[in-house]
Amino acid sequence: MSKILRIDMSDLSHKWEAVPKEYEILAGRAFTSAVVNKEVEPMSHPLRENNMFVISPGLLAGTPAPSSGRLSVGAKSPLTGGIKEANAGGLTADRLARIGIRGIIIDGAPSRGSKDWYSIVVRKDNCEIVKTNNYADKGLYELIGKIWKDYPVKPGIIGCGIAGQRLMKCAGVFGNNPENTDPGRYAGRGGLGAVLGSKRIVAIISDSTGGEIPTPKDKERFDRGRKALREALDKHPVTGKLTSDDGKPFGGLKNYGTNILQNILNEAGGLPSMGFSSGRFDGAAKISGEAVHELVDKTKKKFGDAAEASYAHACHPGCVMRCSNAVPYEKTGKLHVSPLEYESAWALGTNLGIGVLHDVAELNRLCNDLGLDTIEAGNTLAMLMEGGLIKYGDGPGAIKALKEAYSTDSALGRLVCSGTQTAGEALGVTRIPVVKGQALPAYDPRPIRGIGVTYATTTMGADHTAGYTIAAEILGIKGTVTDPRALNKAELSRAFQATTAYIDATGYCLFIAFCILDDDDGFKGMTDSVNGFLGKDIDVTEYGMAILKNERAFNKNAGFTEKDDRLPEFFRTEPLPPHNVTFDVTDAELDAVFKGM
Amino acid sequence: MRVQVKLYATLREYAPSNTEIGASFVVEFDGNTLGELVQRLGFEIDRAKIVMINGNRVVDMSTPVNEDDLVVIFPPVGGG
Repeated sequence: MSKILRIDMSDLSHKWEAVPKEYEILAGRAFTSAVVNKEVEPMSHPLRENNMFVISPGLLAGTPAPSSGRLSVGAKSPLTGGIKEANAGGLTADRLARIGIRGIIIDGAPSRGSKDWYSIVVRKDNCEIVKTNNYADKGLYELIGKIWKDYPVKPGIIGCGIAGQRLMKCAGVFGNNPENTDPGRYAGRGGLGAVLGSKRIVAIISDSTGGEIPTPKDKERFDRGRKALREALDKHPVTGKLTSDDGKPFGGLKNYGTNILQNILNEAGGLPSMGFSSGRFDGAAKISGEAVHELVDKTKKKFGDAAEASYAHACHPGCVMRCSNAVPYEKTGKLHVSPLEYESAWALGTNLGIGVLHDVAELNRLCNDLGLDTIEAGNTLAMLMEGGLIKYGDGPGAIKALKEAYSTDSALGRLVCSGTQTAGEALGVTRIPVVKGQALPAYDPRPIRGIGVTYATTTMGADHTAGYTIAAEILGIKGTVTDPRALNKAELSRAFQATTAYIDATGYCLFIAFCILDDDDGFKGMTDSVNGFLGKDIDVTEYGMAILKNERAFNKNAGFTEKDDRLPEFFRTEPLPPHNVTFDVTDAELDAVFKGM
Repeated sequence: MRVQVKLYATLREYAPSNTEIGASFVVEFDGNTLGELVQRLGFEIDRAKIVMINGNRVVDMSTPVNEDDLVVIFPPVGGG
């Protein structure tokens, strides 16, 4: 039986509620966005008591459906001022789903001036709000180790680090990985870590002891669907097995992780490098997924079973795509950071002109430890470079600047955590790559215009995952596109945005899209598993569009207009080498994406 | 004719051993088209999912290849 846990941090109380009829089929992003739109005052300050922090495991989390353990978190974003949903793997979705929790809604904040820090411990039919001042102001590697000692039931953990506790806009929501060796499972974007910090919450600890696997309404259909999806995922060359039957490398994500994209974007001339000033980076290969694969193999050869290195690593229980990795220190074979993903390697490497794998891994480790979103932190460091405080390519300089963030009284430390727009403006930079205040990720919108349409029009601020047109524009999935100009970009972006919203609600990892958009049996497997679980048929696009409508309604009420759906001017005026093109999608085309909605 | 080739991800095993990631190597072959080049490289056509000749995306395997062209080939990839 699903239920909702409501927590009021103003008086440290909580209560349990049945899932109301209107939220009956909502989970994950569908749940968080519905609650935020309905219950959060749109003009409230995101870092004061009237904002809410909403958590919801995806619909199929905790079940045997493949790669279905994503957790959504939502709130009004301190970075964009609009609605935000961010999702991640880790353990928490599984743990909450097993104890029947559809959502946790956290409202209020301790009285101003309160110095105490709290953690929330959620168990089957039980919730405790515990004073945990000893969890605050700590690096997150140390914190997750401490929590697993204090609660020896292998709990899921999410929360905020030093950056969120100081209400910094780069702060993400961290999550522990299944082995609890790294806090690197981030629902990173939108500064939502700071929303937790504003409520004086360090960690949310979920214990599934006594829980059970959620039961589908139509088990036969659910099982048929999940098995068909599993089969399709396993045989697809992007999501499939590590090696083929003859022992050769097969699945792209298992072998090289998401960072398989580094080289292809570089060759395509769409890899934004050195503050979005070029579409190519001569150090890209050295920090690519192929380079991590080689480092892992080399380390395993040298250190054998003692090597803390892997690819084909699962980010949550039951993931069959396993795109995560564990990057070792080359000299010792010990874990350096897990994972090193494409967006992070780009933000902290390519975007800063840093082509040294160790330095990029170290910057990522620091972000994980401090509680920072790697994309926002990397773009913020780029503003320090653009503003002349550090030179492009200076890895040790970037590491030194980021380490300042540990200090309680370093202005530079606050600046590197303050977000791309704030740092750029403070340093007199006029090329600030943000939409709605959120920094652009790892695809330049000038040569790849469909993704530019997504960046501009999604309610989330610049976000590639909101409508991943790259699949069609670069990767040749669902169509072969030679020139993105030939596409109806509005239609492409809208279709991807709606489908994505649906997937984000199911708990399935978005990466199943690489398979299901290519394989009709896989697509049917996905919908059968969802419909079988619910015991009723829902339409993918209709369900996705309903989520987008909630999100657009919130932003409209928060004062957003079409004028916010624009890219910064320099993308229209500065041609990007090597193709020397600008973003030439008209405002009318951008506005057509959600016309009449 | 001689062309420069770059192979990435799961196709790297078809490059001469010790080819660095992102480095091109020279291929001599008798044919004229991209399809014939892929055949010469030794893997199935459908594994050449994303191909760029001199930086431009091509999808037609009958596309002519010319002396000194840089041909970059990826298998199906995804991520993000």
